[in-house]
Amino acid sequence: MFSQRIVALLVALVASVALAQEKPKPEQLQIAQGTLLAPKAFRAASKRVLPSLVTIEGIGGLASGISAAGIQAPGEGPTSGVIISPDGYIVTSTFNFIRKPPIITVTLASGERKVATLVGRDETRKICLLKIEGVSNLPVPTWAERQQLRVGQWTVALGIGFGGNEPALTAGIISATSRIGGKAVQTDANLSPANYGGPLLDLEGRVIGICVPLNPQSRDEGSGVDWYDSGIGFAVPIGGNEKIIEALKAGKTLQPAFLGVQSEPRGTPASGAHVVQVVPKSPAETAGIKSGDQLQAIDGHEILDVTHLQSIIARYNAGDKATISIVRGEEKLDVAAEFGVPPVQAKPPMPGKR
Amino acid sequence: MIAGPLIRFIRSQFVNSCLAIVVIGSGFCLAQEPTDNGPFADAVAAAQKRVVKIYGATIGRSPGYATGIIVSPDGQIITASGVHLSEGNVRVTMPDGSLQQAEVVRRSPSLQTALLKVSVPTPDFFAIPEQPAASKGDWVLAVSNAFKVAEGAEPLSVNIGVLSLRVRLDARRGYNDFPYEDDVYLIDAITSNPGAAGGAVVNAQGELVGLVGKVIEGKTTGTRLNYAVPADLLQRFIRGDEPMTAVAETTPRGGKGELGIRLFALGGRKSPAYIDRVLPGSPAAEAGLKTDDLVVSINGEVVRDSGDFRRLTDTLPAGVEITLEVKRKNDLLSVRIKTAAVKTP
Repeated sequence: MFSQRIVALLVALVASVALAQEKPKPEQLQIAQGTLLAPKAFRAASKRVLPSLVTIEGIGGLASGISAAGIQAPGEGPTSGVIISPDGYIVTSTFNFIRKPPIITVTLASGERKVATLVGRDETRKICLLKIEGVSNLPVPTWAERQQLRVGQWTVALGIGFGGNEPALTAGIISATSRIGGKAVQTDANLSPANYGGPLLDLEGRVIGICVPLNPQSRDEGSGVDWYDSGIGFAVPIGGNEKIIEALKAGKTLQPAFLGVQSEPRGTPASGAHVVQVVPKSPAETAGIKSGDQLQAIDGHEILDVTHLQSIIARYNAGDKATISIVRGEEKLDVAAEFGVPPVQAKPPMPGKR
Repeated sequence: MIAGPLIRFIRSQFVNSCLAIVVIGSGFCLAQEPTDNGPFADAVAAAQKRVVKIYGATIGRSPGYATGIIVSPDGQIITASGVHLSEGNVRVTMPDGSLQQAEVVRRSPSLQTALLKVSVPTPDFFAIPEQPAASKGDWVLAVSNAFKVAEGAEPLSVNIGVLSLRVRLDARRGYNDFPYEDDVYLIDAITSNPGAAGGAVVNAQGELVGLVGKVIEGKTTGTRLNYAVPADLLQRFIRGDEPMTAVAETTPRGGKGELGIRLFALGGRKSPAYIDRVLPGSPAAEAGLKTDDLVVSINGEVVRDSGDFRRLTDTLPAGVEITLEVKRKNDLLSVRIKTAAVKTP
């Protein structure tokens, strides 16, 4: 009787252990395994874009050690670029040319080195276009679809700037899909001067954007550089943005839009953008905007307050035209404005990071 | 009457059922997968048993604390070299929380590492892997005491990134060139922080990838670098075979006298004039000057900091004899040195 009981208990024990093993693996374990496999995906994505990655070097220009544009002295190493057309158009960052080198060379993945000419610049995106001659059928990367980007998805950044024979690889996620007036994607993949001009990729190896130093609060040449190691980095998508590429190919310098009004919120509670002063000879004056006008909308986008006005204007470039809706006393009217170039200001000395 | 035997029957089955429930319950508990702690828990646990906190002297702007890794069962510890090791009072908090006195055995100026020894056995230590434990893109975990966040016996701080690149280092520390002349691993975990130097960089399996490096600035990018000394280079340091650095380095000015002394570059010109390294074969080496000697005076003139040292030695021509006074531990030593001619490449 007693041994029967022991046997029955043992059978129950074994059966319950066996039954418990049949339980499905927790989701957590699958996620853990996926995480451990991510490096394979990082390397595969990187491999896909390598043929289109170029090394850029500037020869001559301001001497090293001179702090150009008030930022920390740029490094002495090579920088990165991405081929965007089979006949030799290359995108890189304006950061790489702060020292204004008279000679720019591009080294292709094949090892071939060519002299490049700087064709056009987009100061709002901190990118510029180079052209090399005598090449055809260069490999061009695939661009990621902007609308399909999701916060939290993996990104990989490649950069030549540390030297060596291969690019450095950093990984992170998309932190935000629309920053700097919609011009940039934000990532926490470590970005530094080693990356500027180089690609930010998704896990399929498609280019999300070109890594550049940006700072929503400042337009100065080097601003945003001191955010390396901060977990904040920016890349500007250009794939499919034919308007900008064509403007750069035509040799234009795209600059941020400038309207020329000083405004303030009014009413209770204070809201909106009411013009206090119109800058003389500015695009606002030319358009007929007067002190006292309330700026209600630009091209149909309602202006909520002064900061919002600035961010809407930031979506335009100098030379762009827009319709501005105004409330003047009892009247509502629309004026046609053409944004101009921001006036040149003496740059205050900026504390550099040493 | 049925009641008696029925009651006995029910009672025995009741006991059986209770036993069965207890057994089945414990069966499930035994078979339960251990709670999933994420993909890196085991690697971190293993690393925490092999990393120590190091405390030394606070001098100039150097933080006075660092991290170290245990590399042998008899108490050998590797850390980053630095002035905090110079006063001879180096204390180490072991993984079990005990505080030990450590002896500085030897340094490598070219790797900027130091070998320490504690006199307790250390059964948990990092073995140097045969093959590199990580390649580009692989997860790496840095285990260190950045900012002295871990107090007493608390476990060290861990952060994660990927291995970015293995490349030859070209860097500076403050105003001077950084003497490290070999490959490093660049990683995108943030390790360039006070106190992190000497920490462990491990892969997802807990194997040693490298030693967290010092706070330096890369010359190619003009930015601070998060780097690690590769484990295969640490192997050479442990064994004691080190490439000899060249003798007198050249300077742009010709006809200049060279002593062969390189000072610690800490926080600029105001840092005390501690000798970081003495160039092999140089007049300073022959006079017996050593790393950690503090230059106190030159020809009777007081040397308060590296600015004074530079001012008093920069214009020395070759072939002159000077009197140098240094403080070594608690002794004041006086040596006469004749400057050598600077070697041209």
